[in-house]
Amino acid sequence: MKRELNINHLTRVEGHGAVNIVIENDKLREIKLRFTEGPRFFEYITRERLYNEIPKIVSRICGICYVSHRLSSIAAIEDAFDVKVTEEIDLLRKLLIVGEYLESHALHLYFLALPDYMGYPSALAMAKDYPNVVKRGFHIKEVGNRIMKLIGGKTVHGENILAGGFKSVPTKEQLQKIQDELYKVIPEIKATVSLFDSFHYPQYNEKPPFSLCINSEKFSILGNELILSDGTLFTKKEYEIFIEEKTSSYSTAKYSTIKGKPFLIGPLARVNHYVDTLRSETKEVLRNLKTKFPSENILHSNLARAVEMLELALEGVEICQKLIEAYPFEGEVEVKPKAGTGYGIKEAPRGLLFHKYTFDENGRCTSANIITPTAQLQAIIEENLGTLVERSKDAENEDLKKKAEMLIRAYDP
Amino acid sequence: MVKIGIMGLTGCSGCQCEILNCEDAIYKLLGRVEFSYFPLAQDNNSFEEFDVLFVEGSVTTDLDEEKVKKGREISKILVAVGSCACYGGVQSQRNDEVSLEEMIKGVYGTTELPVKISKPRAVSEVVKVDYELPGCPLDKRQFVYAVAFLLNGVKPFFPKIPVCHECKLSETECLTLKGIPCQGPISFSGCGAPCTSQGVGCQGCRGDCDFPNYNEMVSILERNGLKREDAFKFIKVFRGKQAQDRISKLFRGDLDEKGA
Ligand code: SF4
Ligand code: SF4
Ligand code: SF4
Repeated sequence: MKRELNINHLTRVEGHGAVNIVIENDKLREIKLRFTEGPRFFEYITRERLYNEIPKIVSRICGICYVSHRLSSIAAIEDAFDVKVTEEIDLLRKLLIVGEYLESHALHLYFLALPDYMGYPSALAMAKDYPNVVKRGFHIKEVGNRIMKLIGGKTVHGENILAGGFKSVPTKEQLQKIQDELYKVIPEIKATVSLFDSFHYPQYNEKPPFSLCINSEKFSILGNELILSDGTLFTKKEYEIFIEEKTSSYSTAKYSTIKGKPFLIGPLARVNHYVDTLRSETKEVLRNLKTKFPSENILHSNLARAVEMLELALEGVEICQKLIEAYPFEGEVEVKPKAGTGYGIKEAPRGLLFHKYTFDENGRCTSANIITPTAQLQAIIEENLGTLVERSKDAENEDLKKKAEMLIRAYDP
Repeated sequence: MVKIGIMGLTGCSGCQCEILNCEDAIYKLLGRVEFSYFPLAQDNNSFEEFDVLFVEGSVTTDLDEEKVKKGREISKILVAVGSCACYGGVQSQRNDEVSLEEMIKGVYGTTELPVKISKPRAVSEVVKVDYELPGCPLDKRQFVYAVAFLLNGVKPFFPKIPVCHECKLSETECLTLKGIPCQGPISFSGCGAPCTSQGVGCQGCRGDCDFPNYNEMVSILERNGLKREDAFKFIKVFRGKQAQDRISKLFRGDLDEKGA
């Protein structure tokens, strides 16, 4: 007996995706996760452009995680030209990341994921019965947006985020205000953590073959080195050696594996790796949860997102303090182009991101390679979907569809 | 209830995010409008009829084309939002420089792709568009005004005056005078000039103002340190066909020489 399950339009995910599953005589025959998103040729439209056009162009890869694309490309440019930025520029970038994560994670948790767990088709529909919960989501997101607007100039695609730093920096008063807002949003984030801990998360997947994140002593979104869950360490320059990329015949996202196997990246990989090095205030909150990290259940990615928001909001308060104490400071260092290749990696909210550019002596880009989280997630999501189908062969189509969507959404591909 | 649809073609979802960022306004609108189609934000979507359909992204795949044609048929008013939908966006900036095959091969190493692709096009190159709200992303105040206007039967109208006007209003010191490349003189205002007020030149993300003087713009950019070919590329980033047509007409001689 042959059974086919097709989800033609995944909703509440960014981009355009579809899933086809074929089951024959109770055996899984075929599973295809297709991203049908039109290609946008970023590795090609950056060519022949001057280095200072690049952060602006690649920003447009993703409207939700544009800060990640900008900062990875900036890291690559500064790597190629041997630019060293000041501590304050570094702190401002980290504050920007706090804004990005609050915005992106709150959007994901409250608007894309929560309706599944509360039984609604959308957050807007949920707003009638639970106005305060939805308002909380809006509020956390708003704080993130305000930080990005203040530092970058706009909430989406702020043009002040450049190689060498920032054309202008926030005033002391503005930093104080942001610090205050971050401080006030912390209880709401803690409430988010406990809300996402309260749900029942069935285990749909097996343990991922590998997971991968940036390696550092403490929880870190930026860095130069990576760690694979089997202990293998490698540098950003070696990324392309470890990640094997193939084009797929059915998806416009490339298919990536590591040592021949799918691998996990993103919030769950990060929280699993860093759980013992988090701030004591975050650990305190974690101690009281029924969910324990490290966890192998991909649905716990949602809780991991809430935990990351807490850790980063706490860090944000500290960053503001340091910047206020350092005030006034310069926001920019000089960038002098030269021929060469540079690499940049960053943890985007949904997982690792890699940018690489080669420049000629005038600083014009001659080639580019970008490896997005979505491309790296395709393989592991397919593997998880396979397990889910194997485990729930008796489930009705509608039920299976719903589970498949929840699983895919947990990755936020 | 007024039925609103929000559709994404090939873009970055940044415009849809800005629409979600109109939080308070969305709350207030909920009594009068119904988002009957908004796949980024909800499951219960119906694609049957719309009073107003907002379209983000450029037309790049056969699926995009199919969707937007169907969308046009079933909508009373169609509004293109963002520079991808209005002009083709960043992805179309090299449409005049290289062939589609070259671009596909350059990125994927093969021309065999699971979807049929054309060069990125503006929505108006495929179907009739009633209004355009450009920007990368669109300006959220303009989105809210446009919805409010349409709800009251008024045509949304935003004068295409240059960004320089906004600098004058906010008393921002002119960057061009300080030697910083700025596209404000040829760019469509309405954004409040968030870039120039931070000391970053206008990047032209909202496309052309009325009667843009490209000739003069290019010479100003040259005076501020850009090579002529880099000035063309700088102007082309967001404007898609708009700039490509003007540049090829005005600077034909240069292009033959430099191949910009
Ligand atoms: S116009 Fe800009 S923000 Fe809007 S979808 Fe296109 S790239 Fe994204
Ligand atoms: S800074 Fe740019 S936009 Fe503003 S007045 Fe000067 S040229 Fe015009
Ligand atoms: S100032 Fe220029 S680049 Fe900045 S938002 Fe306005 S039109 Fe876009």
